[in-house]
Amino acid sequence: MILRRTAVLAVGLVALVCGFAASLALGAVQVPLHDVIDALLGKAEPGPFKQIVLTLRLPRTVEAMVVGAGLGVAGALLQGALGNPLASPDVIGVTAGAGFGAVLILLVFPGSIALLPVGALVFGLAAAALVFAIAWTGQNAGSVGKLILAGIAMAALFTAGTTSLMTAYPDRVQSVIFFIAGGLTSEGWRELEVVWPYLAVGFVIALGLIRPLDRLALGDDVAASLGARPRLVRLGAGIAAALLAAGAAALAGLLGFLGLIVPHVVRLAGGTASHTFVVPASAVGGAALLVAGDTLARTVRAPIELPVGPLMVVIGVPLFLWLLRKAV
Amino acid sequence: MQRGDTALEVTDLRVDLGGKTVLDGAGLTLRAGELVTVVGPNGAGKSTMVRAAAGLQAFQRGAVEWMGRPLDAVRGRKLALIRAFVPQRGRVPDGVTVNDAVTIGRSAHLRMLQRATRADQKAVNRALERAGVSGFRDRHLSTLSGGELQRVQIAVALAQEAPVLMADEPTSQLDLGATVDVAKLLRGLADDGLAVLLVAHDLSLAAAVADEVVVIHQGRSVATGPPGQALDAARLREVWGVDASLEMAGGRTALHVAWLGR
Amino acid sequence: MRRLAVVALTAAAFAVIAAPAGAAAPKRVVALTPFTANTLAALGVRPVAIGQTLGGRERFNKRLKGVRTLPMSHPNGPNLEQLASLNPRMVFNSPTFRKGSVGIRSLEIKVVESDPHNIAESVAQTRRIGRIVGKRKQADKLALKLLKGVANARRNIRDRPTVLLILGVGRTPFVFLRNSWGGDVLRNAGGSLLTAGRRDRGGFARISDEVVVAEDPDVIIAVPHAAARDIPSITRYLRSNPAWSTTSAVRNKRVYVSTDNSLLQAGTDAGKVIRTVRRKYLKNAK
Repeated sequence: MILRRTAVLAVGLVALVCGFAASLALGAVQVPLHDVIDALLGKAEPGPFKQIVLTLRLPRTVEAMVVGAGLGVAGALLQGALGNPLASPDVIGVTAGAGFGAVLILLVFPGSIALLPVGALVFGLAAAALVFAIAWTGQNAGSVGKLILAGIAMAALFTAGTTSLMTAYPDRVQSVIFFIAGGLTSEGWRELEVVWPYLAVGFVIALGLIRPLDRLALGDDVAASLGARPRLVRLGAGIAAALLAAGAAALAGLLGFLGLIVPHVVRLAGGTASHTFVVPASAVGGAALLVAGDTLARTVRAPIELPVGPLMVVIGVPLFLWLLRKAV
Repeated sequence: MQRGDTALEVTDLRVDLGGKTVLDGAGLTLRAGELVTVVGPNGAGKSTMVRAAAGLQAFQRGAVEWMGRPLDAVRGRKLALIRAFVPQRGRVPDGVTVNDAVTIGRSAHLRMLQRATRADQKAVNRALERAGVSGFRDRHLSTLSGGELQRVQIAVALAQEAPVLMADEPTSQLDLGATVDVAKLLRGLADDGLAVLLVAHDLSLAAAVADEVVVIHQGRSVATGPPGQALDAARLREVWGVDASLEMAGGRTALHVAWLGR
Repeated sequence: MRRLAVVALTAAAFAVIAAPAGAAAPKRVVALTPFTANTLAALGVRPVAIGQTLGGRERFNKRLKGVRTLPMSHPNGPNLEQLASLNPRMVFNSPTFRKGSVGIRSLEIKVVESDPHNIAESVAQTRRIGRIVGKRKQADKLALKLLKGVANARRNIRDRPTVLLILGVGRTPFVFLRNSWGGDVLRNAGGSLLTAGRRDRGGFARISDEVVVAEDPDVIIAVPHAAARDIPSITRYLRSNPAWSTTSAVRNKRVYVSTDNSLLQAGTDAGKVIRTVRRKYLKNAK
């Protein structure tokens, strides 16, 4: 049992390390391997190769890992807290809110383009806050059903807003497509500097929720019997997921698929739903998947860059289906 | 806790749910080494009272005291070390084995990021043995029958190793044989010194295992006492509106009911 | 008697020749693209309506002032009911709104699609439009004027800097390729387009920042969908992009933003646009 979990984690880590190396070594421009290593060790001369490795590929690889891990963990937290295998950051309205915020800037305030990550963050968190406010007040406060319904309604609202904006500015729409399809950008550390605090807080809260989430597995009554506070745990999970997903969307657009599928892949592979395994494994799995997907997106049709979102679905879905067939 | 010490004291409890007063003037006393069953017609408020005592349900008036201390003073983990609650119908998650589930029952004893120790593992094994579910400890919960599930739920509560066990209709899904097994288990626990509180539907079962029976009728405790006393024919007619009598003789308990009236 | 017959025959001959010419000059024309609208205006034809995209910043000829505008949106372009109520004989439409063309044809209105992607095509389209509306001579003169203007604008190119011409801002660079209007203008102005080798169906491609760093452009021009007042903030944003910090363009502060659509939409003043590009951005005017 334990052996299987360790094996899965090990495989994930190996994949991550390989992905990391590949992402730094490969790209639209051929950079010889010794130049890559020199640049990383600080021994390279100033020039396009150094620039490409240190300012383009390195920050982007780190972003891919952080975003992938964040989305994987967000999905694991929500699936555990809501007790629903269909839960993902989309369900609490964060993705739709972030999309609206970004599209608002891209289409209506293109002069303020520097504020794109801020717009996505603000609206993503606002959408989640609205969902929590609705779900935690009134009758049946904090129940799973209410939370999911509020999330779906809010997501529909913000998606409608996004679509309306796109219809109103049809000639500007192409600049939005890349964001909506989901894709990373090579802009150095600029965007990560703005977003990292939110991701950090999200990860820390997630770490603290691993045990409590296990206690929710047998239902709210048993959880309460064990001294846990199910509603508080659910709120905490929602907040952490919102921070991670909003930060991820600010960096990489709308990558909904990761948060939903990676926890399932990890559970099927490891044969267990225990959060002490699922949360870290989702982080590793999500990071590995996104780094691999991004490397492919940058190299498959170089120098053209494909959006990562659809590419990851192409990698992830067959894996998921294969595991599903093998599972009991 | 010594045998005979008061573990739980509920006095004059009032619970309003959804605008309705479900309980008003309900109460009971539970002592170590005793098994108390709470009985009453549907909707009388049995489950509500036990849940309120367990700290799972808010109450508007009255007092709940655990080992002499009011409920508010013993919240969270402290309460989890005093009492274990087995709900009527727990959730059955995917991908969780019996062993995993019972280990979750141990979490009240574990601090935030602490790993499970050998002592914890031993406690889990004991709980599995006692509930009679060690044989399928590696099976997934979703593959168990209703009866097996209910015994696992009891094992989870036993892993808490709390001096008080509370169970809400723990035999509702069980067939006759399994019900007898659980009845023996619960009686055995009380004999070992635990304080056991049960909500039961089945009057003959309730009478057979209990030291004391509490009858709840329309939100109030209308009778408290040994089974023969609390469930005499007059009470059965008054509370349940049936012509019936309880007979306890020769190690067997039977409820004689005039099913078709006269 | 014979004189009368000759006059009558000549009159009849003229009538026969003139009639088709008159029939080939439809009076009520709608021009849904800026290029066709401006070309018609330059030819002295006043359309009954012109198309304008929502939130768009098309440039229109002064002579079109006061002409009714039809808002264009997906999928049909103009509102077909409004269009029908104008009772046009002919509509010049863009291939972007091809679905609308089908609808317009079903109203038994003639549709001509016109969308030049480069200067040569714009000259050819000018002639074609002139022929269709019966102003062939004027169109030929206009075409000639266009060609001369372009030829003048291309004189004495000393420098051929590498240019990165991108559409929109932020995210990954969306570059103009050779077969786009802006790309062709740049080429004629003496600029050497980044990834000049590529051609794409749409005239644009999303390329990697690594290619930008490797090819080290001398000049970067962005064409965002923004107002002129946003130019300073967008320029600042582009200059501070860490990915491009080592390029000659950023180091020499040759990063520009163009918001007036002259590089986006085909126009009737290509020569003037080329001269402006040379003067403002490429700095290779004599």
